[in-house]
Amino acid sequence: MMRTCLLSFLFSLSAIAPTPKQSPEPQFKLSPLRGIDFVLRNSPTSRKYLIETMPGGVALLDYNNDGLLDIFLVNAGRVADPLRGPADFDRHNPSYWNRLYRQNKDGTFTDVTVQAGLQNAGDTNYGMGVAVGDYDNDGFADIYVTNFGRNILYHNNGDGTFTDLTAKAGVGAGGWSVSAGFFDYDNDGHLDLFVTRYLDWTPEKSKTCGRIAEPMYCPPGEFAATTNILYHNRGDGTFEDVSAVSGISAKPGRGLGVAFADYDGDGFTDIFVANDAIEQFLWHNNGNGTFTEVALDSGAALSSTGKKLSGMGVVFQDYDNDGLPDLIVTQLPHEPYVVFHNDGKGSFSAQELETGFGALSGNSSGWGVGLEDFDNDGWKDVFIVQGHVFDNVHMYDSSLNYREPPLFASNRRGHFEKGDAGSDLPVAGRGAAFGDLNNDGWVDVFTTSLGEGPQFFSNRGGKAHWLTITLRGKRSNRDGYGARVQVNGQVRFATASGSYLSSNDKRLHFGLGSADSCAIDIRWPSGIHQKLRGIKADQFMIIEESEP
Amino acid sequence: MIIQAVLLVHLLLPAQIAASQSPPEAARLLQSATDAENRGDLEQAIVDFRKAVELSPSSAIALLKLGDAYMRKQDYGAAIPPLQRAAELSPDSVSVHQLLGYALLSQGYAAEAIPHLEIAHESGALGIAQLQADQPEEAVINLKNALAKSPDDPDLIYYLARAAATLSSEFNEKLLAQFPQTARGHQVLGQSYYSAKMFPEAEGEYEKAIALRPDLPGLHLELGEIYAAGSQWTQAEERFRAETKLQPGNAEVAYRLGDALLQGGKMQEAAQELRRSDSLRPDMPETLYALGRALVVSDPNAAEQALDRVIAVEKQSQLAGQAYLLLASTHRKQGKSELAARDMAEYKRIHSLTSKTEQ
Repeated sequence: MMRTCLLSFLFSLSAIAPTPKQSPEPQFKLSPLRGIDFVLRNSPTSRKYLIETMPGGVALLDYNNDGLLDIFLVNAGRVADPLRGPADFDRHNPSYWNRLYRQNKDGTFTDVTVQAGLQNAGDTNYGMGVAVGDYDNDGFADIYVTNFGRNILYHNNGDGTFTDLTAKAGVGAGGWSVSAGFFDYDNDGHLDLFVTRYLDWTPEKSKTCGRIAEPMYCPPGEFAATTNILYHNRGDGTFEDVSAVSGISAKPGRGLGVAFADYDGDGFTDIFVANDAIEQFLWHNNGNGTFTEVALDSGAALSSTGKKLSGMGVVFQDYDNDGLPDLIVTQLPHEPYVVFHNDGKGSFSAQELETGFGALSGNSSGWGVGLEDFDNDGWKDVFIVQGHVFDNVHMYDSSLNYREPPLFASNRRGHFEKGDAGSDLPVAGRGAAFGDLNNDGWVDVFTTSLGEGPQFFSNRGGKAHWLTITLRGKRSNRDGYGARVQVNGQVRFATASGSYLSSNDKRLHFGLGSADSCAIDIRWPSGIHQKLRGIKADQFMIIEESEP
Repeated sequence: MIIQAVLLVHLLLPAQIAASQSPPEAARLLQSATDAENRGDLEQAIVDFRKAVELSPSSAIALLKLGDAYMRKQDYGAAIPPLQRAAELSPDSVSVHQLLGYALLSQGYAAEAIPHLEIAHESGALGIAQLQADQPEEAVINLKNALAKSPDDPDLIYYLARAAATLSSEFNEKLLAQFPQTARGHQVLGQSYYSAKMFPEAEGEYEKAIALRPDLPGLHLELGEIYAAGSQWTQAEERFRAETKLQPGNAEVAYRLGDALLQGGKMQEAAQELRRSDSLRPDMPETLYALGRALVVSDPNAAEQALDRVIAVEKQSQLAGQAYLLLASTHRKQGKSELAARDMAEYKRIHSLTSKTEQ
């Protein structure tokens, strides 16, 4: 077995042993989760306020460290029609609360929102997304909620409760925040925080577009761009807004999704922001506390035909097992979702056609996206939650739909082919988080839809082997975010971020195909290089950062 | 419908009218009216011209000048009777027919205006009158002639577009009324649905048309374009492939098939078909760009050649900018960073130019 493992390691691409494909059963089954009664209430109005069509996020996290993934869902709020300032989104009403569901040992869920002290979302906040990270390295996952309004940092007290420490931490932001993510940009062992913001929009600045008899939401170009925010973690429970000094606020955009990876292997985590209807942003981390936006000159700003993307969701992982993190950006229809292949030496090329996305996605609108090895064959597959922005888009183009089923595409050695997502039910999909909810070694999908309950796509599993790793940083941040982990030639970049508005299971999942053991190489953010050999497959591993 | 836009007519008095005899008092009134007109006092001019006409009711010049004064006052209805009388008296006068044609057209008497505008050779106004008088075929001819003389006139372009659309609509209605169950009938309906973005209905009509006449060139192509608009590349490919069998020497059909293959991710097949299109009609920039795109990963050198040809043909256009962007990607991948930087500089320059043009 060790021989298999080493061969795989040495000949990364060719040595991955795929298991037979084309199982007659779909990979997923749309399943109810007992105990989850959440409805994403976005409150669409006749005025077509743009915020209504953008929520809401979901996080898969183990907040109580019992080894079971729990679920945090962001709700939106009640929107008055017309909406007049100061806006009141009625968030004290339980119908509009964010919700935390604790997973029980029998796979059912219990709503622990009140118990956990998470019921106060702020009446002036219209909910958007969520990020998860242990920002104070105390071993418990903290929650950051983004809003149109003020964002909220909930510190995990370690006893099943949370405390709103936003003011103390200084991370309230303001304006229209969308996605957020924790990462350690200066490798100091403390998680920093990046927040995307969409538009300079207020109810007073709102407009309605389309025909008088059939109004629709206005495109983003009708509103001014705005800046994203970078918070530096001082390590004492407080953050400093370094958006200006880091260079991040020098370039306004229309940010929606965000994802992190060290794309050029210089040891510092970089940032990709999915922008709507303008060039995408790739913020190169200069390693000295500053960033330079390099998307255009790196080939990651535009589609292969030079078109601006309506970038919404994004994932920053390696799809073709060449060890370099690539980008998949979801967007609006009539252009395929874009795959920016990492060509090495800091450059990308748009390869949406070569990878098959032209045939998969031309007429769909994509939001939350995950690149996970759902069938454990050693190649990461794609799952995308879909649905158009405009709830009446069919009135303008009968080929488009507000509600769409999700897209699942199997990765056939770098080329994606349509698979069976287990549901043809069309929904106005938005958020998506990926993780192994039932700890069976197969990655599941949890998605949100406007005006409806969430959907759980239970992975039916199979016969292939797998490995799931929990990193525990010591010199590095405790979550190990930013680590580059290689298992049998496959690489994952440790992060819970990516997708859209959502936070994934932070554990690193690897499909091993027919290999029943493997080699692991980890490059921690601290610079420590750790190797493990002869690791048995089909287990959940906790790997603590080694000493230098 | 009343035509509001009346073109300014410069009154040229034909020699035979100007030379006609008038009583001295009428001649004096004509002169004072002309003076008043020159001063811009149209009211006084009209009073004097009317008096001159009363004194000399057979004076074509007085009648013409009275009509002209009314025209200048934009009182087209009042201009018609004196101009009609002038036309009776001077049937060969181009100026009289010109003014009368415009006056009648402006008052909604399009059919009545037509013979006068024909005599005056006013092809633009004649085309408009013919369009109003339900003669779109003739209108198209005359408006095209007028547009050839004044190619930048937006009014003429507008009326020509309307006339062509009316003509097209008339023939389509005729086709549908007389031959509803024919391939052409379904094709026309399919085109209408497609224009209205009713894609499923359009597809249905084309399917019916093809079932009736699978050998008819154009049907598969148009249905393929509907599928392509909906990013249904497999179906588009199937239809374009069927069209290539009907039109094997058609470069555009080959390009469409090549592009559908490209969008569907079949890069090698796409390159093959796009090369065939290029051989049928060399230097078609869209074909060359698509060929470059198809080859960019598998054969960067060949891609570069195709993209260089796009730039040679297109120079400063948006497509040339796209070609530079793709070349930059190719050169980056090949480690040719200086070339990539040059390509990016060209892309940015062209992008800046084309963005300004769009604004």
